[in-house]
Amino acid sequence: MTTPAPFGGLAQETRICAHCGYCLAGCPIYQAVGWESASPRGRMAIAAALVHGNALSAEAAQRLYECTLCGHCRTVCPTRIDTLATWLEARQRLADQSALDRLPLGRLRDNLCAAHNITGEPAENRLLWQEELSLAPALLNARPGAQVVYFVGCVAALYGQGHAIARAAVEIFHRADLDFTTLGSAEWCCGFPLLGLGLPEEAAAVARHNLAAVRALAGQAVVTTCPSCFHMWRDVYPALLGGPIGVEVMHAGELLARLIAEGRIAFRPLPGRVTYHDPCDLGRNSGVYDAPRAVLQAIPGLELVEMADHRKHARCCGGGGNLEAINPDLAGELARQRLVQAVETGATLLVTPCQQCKRTLATAARRERVRLRVLDLTETVVQALA
Amino acid sequence: MANPLCHPPLAELLGDRYTESPFERSFYQRDLAVVPHSLARLIGQTLPDAVARPRTAEEVAAIMRYAGERKLAVTPRAAGSTTFWNAVPLHGGLLLDLNGLAGLAALDTDHLTADVWAGTRWADLERALRRRGFAVLAYPTSAPAATVAGWFCMEGHGIGSLKYGGMAGHVAGLEAVLADGHIAQIAAATPDAPTVAELAGSEGTLAVITRIRLRLRPAPAAVGHHLLRFRDMATLQAAALDLSTARPTPYYLHFADDACGRLLTQAGFPPPADGALLAITYDGAAAEVAAGAATVERAAAQTAGEELPAAAAARAWDERFLALHLKRAGPSVLGTEAWLSVSQLAAYTANVARLARRQNLPIATYGMVVAPGMATVMSLFGCDDARPLAYLLALSLTGRLYEIAFRHGGRPYGIGVWNTPYLGRAFAAEELTAQRRRKQAFDPANLLNPGKRYAPPALLWPPTFRLGMAALAGIRRIGRRWLR
Repeated sequence: MTTPAPFGGLAQETRICAHCGYCLAGCPIYQAVGWESASPRGRMAIAAALVHGNALSAEAAQRLYECTLCGHCRTVCPTRIDTLATWLEARQRLADQSALDRLPLGRLRDNLCAAHNITGEPAENRLLWQEELSLAPALLNARPGAQVVYFVGCVAALYGQGHAIARAAVEIFHRADLDFTTLGSAEWCCGFPLLGLGLPEEAAAVARHNLAAVRALAGQAVVTTCPSCFHMWRDVYPALLGGPIGVEVMHAGELLARLIAEGRIAFRPLPGRVTYHDPCDLGRNSGVYDAPRAVLQAIPGLELVEMADHRKHARCCGGGGNLEAINPDLAGELARQRLVQAVETGATLLVTPCQQCKRTLATAARRERVRLRVLDLTETVVQALA
Repeated sequence: MANPLCHPPLAELLGDRYTESPFERSFYQRDLAVVPHSLARLIGQTLPDAVARPRTAEEVAAIMRYAGERKLAVTPRAAGSTTFWNAVPLHGGLLLDLNGLAGLAALDTDHLTADVWAGTRWADLERALRRRGFAVLAYPTSAPAATVAGWFCMEGHGIGSLKYGGMAGHVAGLEAVLADGHIAQIAAATPDAPTVAELAGSEGTLAVITRIRLRLRPAPAAVGHHLLRFRDMATLQAAALDLSTARPTPYYLHFADDACGRLLTQAGFPPPADGALLAITYDGAAAEVAAGAATVERAAAQTAGEELPAAAAARAWDERFLALHLKRAGPSVLGTEAWLSVSQLAAYTANVARLARRQNLPIATYGMVVAPGMATVMSLFGCDDARPLAYLLALSLTGRLYEIAFRHGGRPYGIGVWNTPYLGRAFAAEELTAQRRRKQAFDPANLLNPGKRYAPPALLWPPTFRLGMAALAGIRRIGRRWLR
């Protein structure tokens, strides 16, 4: 992960921006939209207007939210601006100007604040993914004393396409004899979408709730299958809550690599050519590149081929930053562009350790009628278990 | 209800790749240079009337024909990554955003050439070529942003130029749309069209380049980086001169004075070592790289240069695109880029250092040897554009820096708008006359990028400009005495 300079606030960073254009090439939004206003340096110019307290036009505000927070601009910025922090502060100022209600983001905020998830469904629906499992709910949900708490995440819990990921994860954990549980219906959204809306205080409230729920079970570690949840728990919760949170945080890709190394899971051959999509919040924004690849490489018969843009230059799938809420067509276009790169590798299987990336890329594959299977890492592993 | 369009045929031609939206247009009014709005307004109409994003030469040609019929100014632009306002409109009109005209169109591995669309970024091109076992001959230090045609329209000297020459010599042919809308396939000399050499450095004033056939090289088999530290710029200059003419020729020969290191440290990015630094890279066959290492060792011994560890040398190479680290010492920076003889480097930096001491302002100088005995030299200093008066007064220092460059036989590198006051000193009278005749011949209606390159806008007429700069310098001097 490229280290940005310490964030000096919106006023300073928007003036540091050199307008050099290094950010143009890798920005998926700019590549898809084509107008300067949609580029990171264009967003910097828009954000600069916020510094002076100017109310933004609807189109300017829209541009600030039309960003997946993928962080590519942060990795290439030659003045080392922490662009993610810049976008988040800009969005916070916009939220203070009631922009969420002027843009199609009010409903997402209401869902998150009232139902504590992105869809607005009742909390008990978080357990629907468990219906086809043979494991006893008492073991699976809020079991005090379990060593590891599996934080399922909204997409795996509440979207049909994501259920298989949660099921695969618990099956692997069970086969590896891991002492684990989940928060069950007490789990709230990790807060990442709130942060992306520009509502850090609300995100902090969510962080407090989730951490209290884990502590109530005396869990020593949290594992997620969602890179955004992982990033929130590992990197953002300590910042929001003012200090270390006292639990180990792992992404499933890291945990699986560890379980393989310890000989707790073994594989049968799974012949095929696979390409790997780096989720932005796991790779670029959290620095985890190797563990998920090591998992794939441990499966006999699976040949890993990289896309043209990978690791820190991986293109975003369009699933982050609440882009789907404000411009679903643009999110779909980003997924399509990433899919093209996957197809170019000649792989028949596209694996990603992210429930949201899987959802956007699988949807794009269906729309484009591409014969490429899209699976989460856990789903791939469960298929290969000996 | 939306306002009716001023140019409906262009909207019909390009669809959603054409806009007259004031919001969208407003993003095309600047480049890297920070210019106070009050000053920008005096120079010209920087807000284009419309922005078009063509994706083919045919679309560009149709736009040019339309512009010709209506006498509309056309400003070609891609990354907008210079500081001279080369790609900022001065007369409104149409802005041609060529970023969408990008990619590798064809690769001829037998003749070692690549046909590249104009808006292809150098870093993207190099990455695409390296995957296939080839490499470009040279590229700019702004390669992550700068485009192939953009750099060609500037003077095109950068990384690799010392070994392989300037970019003009790397172009085996090109496709360009002339001011009358004719698409010309241009080889070395083509009737009724500017030559490749004439288009090089023409800053988008003679034609809109849409595709370039670039000469390539096989990807080098080996690479070796070196970093030498010197006690002063005089010994650095001696080593740079020696290395630039010795065999093998370095691929990259970059220098920085100790003030540059101090300013980088102030910006939060300490360089690999303090002192005057000379970074040298050889690439090619393993034997050539090994011979380069021996040459560096000999040159270092002769000039009392200290060779720094390999990791420091590798870092200097890795950071070759990151000169903008200096901006954190700002938040704004002002400066100059000059074409200067390497033999004048020590005297030039000594004079710059004297100016810096008098102004009590750190001025960083760095650059590259880009041709035998010749260098492009940047001198930068931090300032704050949020204090418009102080910023305006600081502008006078750029004039002082160029005067130092002129005193040492240098000239501004790149003209655009801001260096037009120096036209008469940057080019010989006959060369300038030839350039103006060429413009008249190929763009008689002055449609292409008007206001650039050939004559300064009224505010920048040399006598007015000199007076203005002298006044700013005077006010700055009085202000500093008063503050003391």
